[in-house]
Amino acid sequence: MLDYLKICGFKSTTIFKRMAKLFLTPENQIQRLNIVLNNVVSLQELDTDMLTNVSVPDTWSIIEVLAHLNIAYGPYRNQLDEAISKMTDSNEEQKPFRARTWQKMMIEMQRPKGTRRKWKMKTMKRFEPLLDRKNIGKEKVEDIFREFFELHCHLKHSILKSRNKDISKIKITSGIGPIVKFYLPESFEFLLCHLERHMVQIDEILNQQKVLTQ
Amino acid sequence: MEVEASLILKSFFSNLDLSKDEEQHFTSLWTLKSFDQYDIITEAESIERNFYIVLEGVQAIYVLNEKGEKVVLGFSYAGSPSGVFDSFVRGEPSKIFLEALKPSKLLALCKQDYDEMFKNHLSFYKWGHLFFQDVLFGRLSREVEILTLTAEQRFVAFMKRCPEELKVIPQKYLASYLNMKPETFSRLRAANVY
Repeated sequence: MLDYLKICGFKSTTIFKRMAKLFLTPENQIQRLNIVLNNVVSLQELDTDMLTNVSVPDTWSIIEVLAHLNIAYGPYRNQLDEAISKMTDSNEEQKPFRARTWQKMMIEMQRPKGTRRKWKMKTMKRFEPLLDRKNIGKEKVEDIFREFFELHCHLKHSILKSRNKDISKIKITSGIGPIVKFYLPESFEFLLCHLERHMVQIDEILNQQKVLTQ
Repeated sequence: MEVEASLILKSFFSNLDLSKDEEQHFTSLWTLKSFDQYDIITEAESIERNFYIVLEGVQAIYVLNEKGEKVVLGFSYAGSPSGVFDSFVRGEPSKIFLEALKPSKLLALCKQDYDEMFKNHLSFYKWGHLFFQDVLFGRLSREVEILTLTAEQRFVAFMKRCPEELKVIPQKYLASYLNMKPETFSRLRAANVY
């Protein structure tokens, strides 16, 4: 794990620097997910050109970002359904969940810092959107939005269902691979931070477009 | 609508001046919604779609602070109104959650019907005027308590006015509402100071 992080550009001192605890609650995650969903609802009102335009070479368009987010959720969907179906009910209110150290590191690598995306990293090939840029029409755009809402409403329902479950016994494999396994609250936080990171990216794209049209 | 529900509705809107037909129509606008314990009725950053009257159970409205902790703004219980009012009135998301602390049954009036009542019935305006007046006075009174009373005084004032069904919800919610630590609430309760 340490070697992997060094390859990503972390210094040893940074890796061990912030050992502050990360407590996760489903209510906080639901609120943040709703902010993301509201944001994407407002993106739907933009015209197709703005959504598919690439203003800076070697970067993604807004629709490619959303397509990437859809792909990134792929590894989690069935795992979440299976994990939740196996979990026993809990009669008590769920306490805040303390993320484990390595999992917290993976989560923090995704989390944007305000309006900045730190730890920029190359997207793994299997998560690249691979859309035919010359052929993205209105219908394809609508499909990507529809899929986004379907998948991320599934995420919300998973968070809601997990509130009444004993989430302490079952782990799932992250989208990165078996190198990182998550308890459900950790996976939700990872996915959320990933979403928030890409919302920052979308804001950057919109700002670039604004500058170019001035 | 069941008789008990109908009586609660009638009692809440006792100053509404409607003919028999109008009253029947008004009653028909309400739908019954049931929630399990700890169900989130309205999520923060979603839009509140309903004005509720509580038939059964206890609900909390709260916001999350920077640490993700629940900061309780108030409770609703049998016979009281409920819902995230700012979001309901504005039709915009708000930062407030509404959660069922006990299994709950609520009567719900959707925004469209709520607006129609104002549009078509002058007496609904009169009801609204008095209702929001009461809400404002209640919030002012609470603000004064929070800002001027000691923890013990806040505890005593609350326990004297609070209905029995609220006293059995998890203490951390009552403590949060009274702006004190759960340990302080527990100590005051054990000392039986009210």
